[in-house]
Amino acid sequence: MHYMNRPEIRERRPDPGPEEGEGPDLALLLAYVARGDHQAFELVYGKLAGPVYGMVKQILRDPAQSEEVAQEVLLEVWRTASRFDPVKGSASAWALTIAHRRAVDRVRSENASSRREQKVATEDIIEGDSVAELVEASLDRQRVNRCLDSLTEFQRESIKLAYYGGYSYPEVSQLLSIPLGTVKTRIRDGLIRMRDCMGVNW
Amino acid sequence: MHGGELVKVTREDMHVLTGSYVLDALTSSEREDFERHLHHCPSCQAEVRGLRETAARLAMAKTVRPPARMESTVLAATYRTRQLPPLPGERAARNLQRVRSSRLFAGLRGTGRRESGLRLPAPGTSSRRPSSQPAIGQPGSSQRGHGRLTADRPSLARRWAQMPRLVGAVAVASVAVAVGLGITQISTQHQLDTVQASNAAITRVVQAPDARIEKKATAGGTVTVVFSSQRDAAVITTSKLTALPSGRVYQLWVMSSAGARSAGLVSQPDQASQVLAAGVRSGDKIGMTVEPAGGTSTPTTTPVLVVPLAT
Repeated sequence: MHYMNRPEIRERRPDPGPEEGEGPDLALLLAYVARGDHQAFELVYGKLAGPVYGMVKQILRDPAQSEEVAQEVLLEVWRTASRFDPVKGSASAWALTIAHRRAVDRVRSENASSRREQKVATEDIIEGDSVAELVEASLDRQRVNRCLDSLTEFQRESIKLAYYGGYSYPEVSQLLSIPLGTVKTRIRDGLIRMRDCMGVNW
Repeated sequence: MHGGELVKVTREDMHVLTGSYVLDALTSSEREDFERHLHHCPSCQAEVRGLRETAARLAMAKTVRPPARMESTVLAATYRTRQLPPLPGERAARNLQRVRSSRLFAGLRGTGRRESGLRLPAPGTSSRRPSSQPAIGQPGSSQRGHGRLTADRPSLARRWAQMPRLVGAVAVASVAVAVGLGITQISTQHQLDTVQASNAAITRVVQAPDARIEKKATAGGTVTVVFSSQRDAAVITTSKLTALPSGRVYQLWVMSSAGARSAGLVSQPDQASQVLAAGVRSGDKIGMTVEPAGGTSTPTTTPVLVVPLAT
């Protein structure tokens, strides 16, 4: 709480420039989390829970399962905070990498028992009372969508199926009826284009 | 999918796997192969880093507010979960040092934050609870290191919504809606209803599939306009504008070929406020002027900001 109430800290929340969308303090907070600071973790939770839950839900669809996996991921952030290295990337990318892999692991293990939900994709509703949050999320969405639009159709579809759909590239290859090697190339070229389009600087 | 069906990749082909690796789209055997390769391939490492950040943006764009109960569940679990030590000889042990010296940390220096009580727990007290969290010992375990958190702590609401300010802001928006609709007398109950209705109305605009966002720096702060042609409406949010002398206000306008009509006043210029303007069409402009207290029916000064709306 003590960090939360300090206006100068709260105002550190930056204008989401290309590489500062998460603000400076998530990496710092994780260093405190690594030392067992629960209050720092509460703040980390506040910053990561929405993106983690949203992305996991995008892949799994089922709200109950998504909640379960998101909880595991956030606890994993607590558990492995000492392994986060700010030199290797941003804290949010680190956490979302854990989250994506967990969600995908869940999908693949469920495929084996074919329990995977086959619901039609519903549009995600961003709940919440905060208009500022909504606008912020919309800005992110708009930026991402604009960049996705700049890709070729195969690049875009490959990336969406792999990242948002949790499909392996052989599955993407079957779904799009394009050769395996081509899928790998499309995914890489498309992501590089996304990176440049969004001005990612890592 | 079996490994045997896949073409065995050569070293040169490995590099093309960066994208699929980052998206977790490799089969498990390929992932292992690639990770081995990655270890000795600095250019792959650099590319993976950039693509990971890119993938993270894809995730951020899907942000959804999780159920409120999730926070208490996760926070409670941290009191029961031992953390991993840093890897021996790893950089991680020096993270704090690095974070402090990095450009990202520069902005936090001198804020008094460290003095503000970032306590580094002494050994054995690492699971000390914030005082606002009730300590509930669990059977068969020592009191320390276990806790259960209730979901209705005030901090939970604050975390996500920064409630007090935003409720205020939504109220401001509702008044603006009322002004925009020409309603001048509204009862408290109606006001409440309007708050809810306008919250929903703002959400509909911001989440409209065709919503376009313009963010402009002006008057010492920022003005963000979200416009949806499908909804015939715009949400104007202002943040941290320069305070005006008493007797002056910022007034927002919808400017069309037919002239300018008021969209409402910015009541708390130094904070965040939102105004919903209805009946806005592509080709209109959103303007902001400085006017006498109470606002005027037509702009009397040169706009400090004009944002053209187009889809």
